[in-house]
Amino acid sequence: MGKAELFEQAAQAVVDANKDAAIDIAKQAIAEGIDPVEMINDGFSVGMSRCGELFDTGELFLPELIVASDAMVSAIAVLEQAMPVEQTSKKLGIAVVGTIEGDVHDIGKGIVATMLRVYGFEVHDLGRDVPINVFVEKAKEVNANIVGSSALMTTTQVGQKALEQALKDAGLRDKVKTMVGGAVCTQRWADKIGSDLYAENATDAVTKLKELFS
Amino acid sequence: MGVGDPFGMPIAHGMAAGMGGIRTAGDLVARMQMTRKMRINEAKAYVADKLKVSPTDLSNEHVMREVREELDIGIITAVPGCAKGIEAKARIANLLGVRINSVERLKSKIR
Amino acid sequence: MTKYITRMGDGQRVEMTADELMRDFELGTQDAAKRGKIDPLTQDDLKYLLEIFTCTNKIVSVEPGNEVVLTHDIGSLRLNGDQANSGVGIPLSRIQGIGVHERAFAADTFELGHIDYSYKPVKPIISMEQTEMETAQLTTTIPLFYGAMPNLGTYYRPDGPFGNPSDLLPMGKIQEAREAQEEAVHHATRDMIYIGEKMNAVGGDGLNFDTTGAAGDADMKATLHAVEYLKQHTDLAIEVGMAGEFVLGIHGGLEYDGVRLAGLYPHQQVKLVEKAGADIFGPVVNTNTGKSIAWNLSRALTFIKACVQVSNIPVHVNVGMGVGGIPVFETPCIDSVTRASKAMAEIAKVDGL
Repeated sequence: MGKAELFEQAAQAVVDANKDAAIDIAKQAIAEGIDPVEMINDGFSVGMSRCGELFDTGELFLPELIVASDAMVSAIAVLEQAMPVEQTSKKLGIAVVGTIEGDVHDIGKGIVATMLRVYGFEVHDLGRDVPINVFVEKAKEVNANIVGSSALMTTTQVGQKALEQALKDAGLRDKVKTMVGGAVCTQRWADKIGSDLYAENATDAVTKLKELFS
Repeated sequence: MGVGDPFGMPIAHGMAAGMGGIRTAGDLVARMQMTRKMRINEAKAYVADKLKVSPTDLSNEHVMREVREELDIGIITAVPGCAKGIEAKARIANLLGVRINSVERLKSKIR
Repeated sequence: MTKYITRMGDGQRVEMTADELMRDFELGTQDAAKRGKIDPLTQDDLKYLLEIFTCTNKIVSVEPGNEVVLTHDIGSLRLNGDQANSGVGIPLSRIQGIGVHERAFAADTFELGHIDYSYKPVKPIISMEQTEMETAQLTTTIPLFYGAMPNLGTYYRPDGPFGNPSDLLPMGKIQEAREAQEEAVHHATRDMIYIGEKMNAVGGDGLNFDTTGAAGDADMKATLHAVEYLKQHTDLAIEVGMAGEFVLGIHGGLEYDGVRLAGLYPHQQVKLVEKAGADIFGPVVNTNTGKSIAWNLSRALTFIKACVQVSNIPVHVNVGMGVGGIPVFETPCIDSVTRASKAMAEIAKVDGL
């Protein structure tokens, strides 16, 4: 089978959330001597991107996205056996995410956390109503390079500004990229408080972080 | 409509596209949507027929103020003796031929 | 080339030429048409929309005779509430707030709502809500709904008894997440029926389910079942207002009347809301802050027009902050608000706002 055809089959196996097929295709790729990294980037990851687009248009849903990512992760585990050690288990980034102190809305933030994991980030989800100092302490503990906060209310949004300052005070601001999201956030707000990124939704968060860290 | 300060949301929308409430016939048209699922033009035609005005007149203050006062179905300014609240709704229920829950409750209490 | 003052989705003022406006109208309507698999706006619609946007007056309005009915969410919280609901903090009682809306703001209908604006928190204080409704009904002429959000999030830990899908799904516990949602549906339906029956008993005119679907497809399922019961057993008029332009599939497999709820767009949502027996449907189209209001409103009109065309019940499009082509800004920009009003009434042909 040609490489292009195998890449397409790999992508489709992820879209179909077919774990068995994904594993078989990964094994076939190894047997045919295809570069595992190419197989991941041009095959399985393409499938995951398609899943993201389908999720964005409401044609694929959160549980299906997770099962699809499970198929991809299983295939990658097979491919990693044929990869040099230094290329394996490479996370794109380490993210600390949470809903800002005083705010209990977390559905959107939960979706962002799930999708970042699916796309290869190590994610530490602090939950909801997270005090500013907890963001900072966790970022230090896990050596994060991404700190993301969500706020759904104008009253709690100010916590995102406080988080920027707290990261500066802790000497961490230059070591992380900050990202803000939530219904009341806008690019203008991100610019105003000095946040590196603004994410309109989960797909936007993944796209922007992948661009930054790939 | 939901979130938005009073001037920027309900007042702005009301000025731009609202029926006008009890200043005109907005509450009456609303009741036909709520009780009979009527679409806007059907609801306006129904109410206009009951009030013996044209559908366009339903949002004309100059016409509706007099109509509402004559029919005693509640007017926007505070005139002593004019029907208010539950009184106005009782008369609206009769006029439009609709059931209004609070009016029925009052009737059951005084039977 | 003449530039016209307009806005971005976050409310920022910008200037655009007629060609730029038209380009954004085209892009917006095509985006909606592609996502919803519906027809884009016609060229006549776009030309009329351009007339609206190139009018140099700050505010615009419908032509006489094209007025529509206005229904409201959040009750009088915008008067006596805090910033979270764009409240202006005037120390008014709710009865006074209702009176202000009826007599000073020319509201066609209004709503009694509680500060903790979800159905579950109303249960323990239902007697208070009932006496407030009873009193309001004596002094109010306009129809008065009782409103709250289904908000299935209040049934998940830490606020409720069931596992939180937001915690379970990232751990890959899909089955547990689904089971938690299914349990929550059962309890939320029961609670919303309870509150509806209590409001019916004290003379309420209607019940408003605001932001239906905010916690996903389970949230919508609970609402539809509650509506179905209440329409069969009470005299309440029922309005179902949505939370987003498509139903978020947090469960992914829940159905109503054999139709999967996840992923439904307004023209599909309305058919199920009709089936449940609701009297008014309030669709939502979310504003994208990174795009122009021209793009956003054209996109919103496309979805709503398709919804209006297939609906058999009145459609009252949501036009609050951040939805229906309105900027995401807590003090809404009046130029954009009135343009959305006019366009929704005269292009999408809605029955109300």
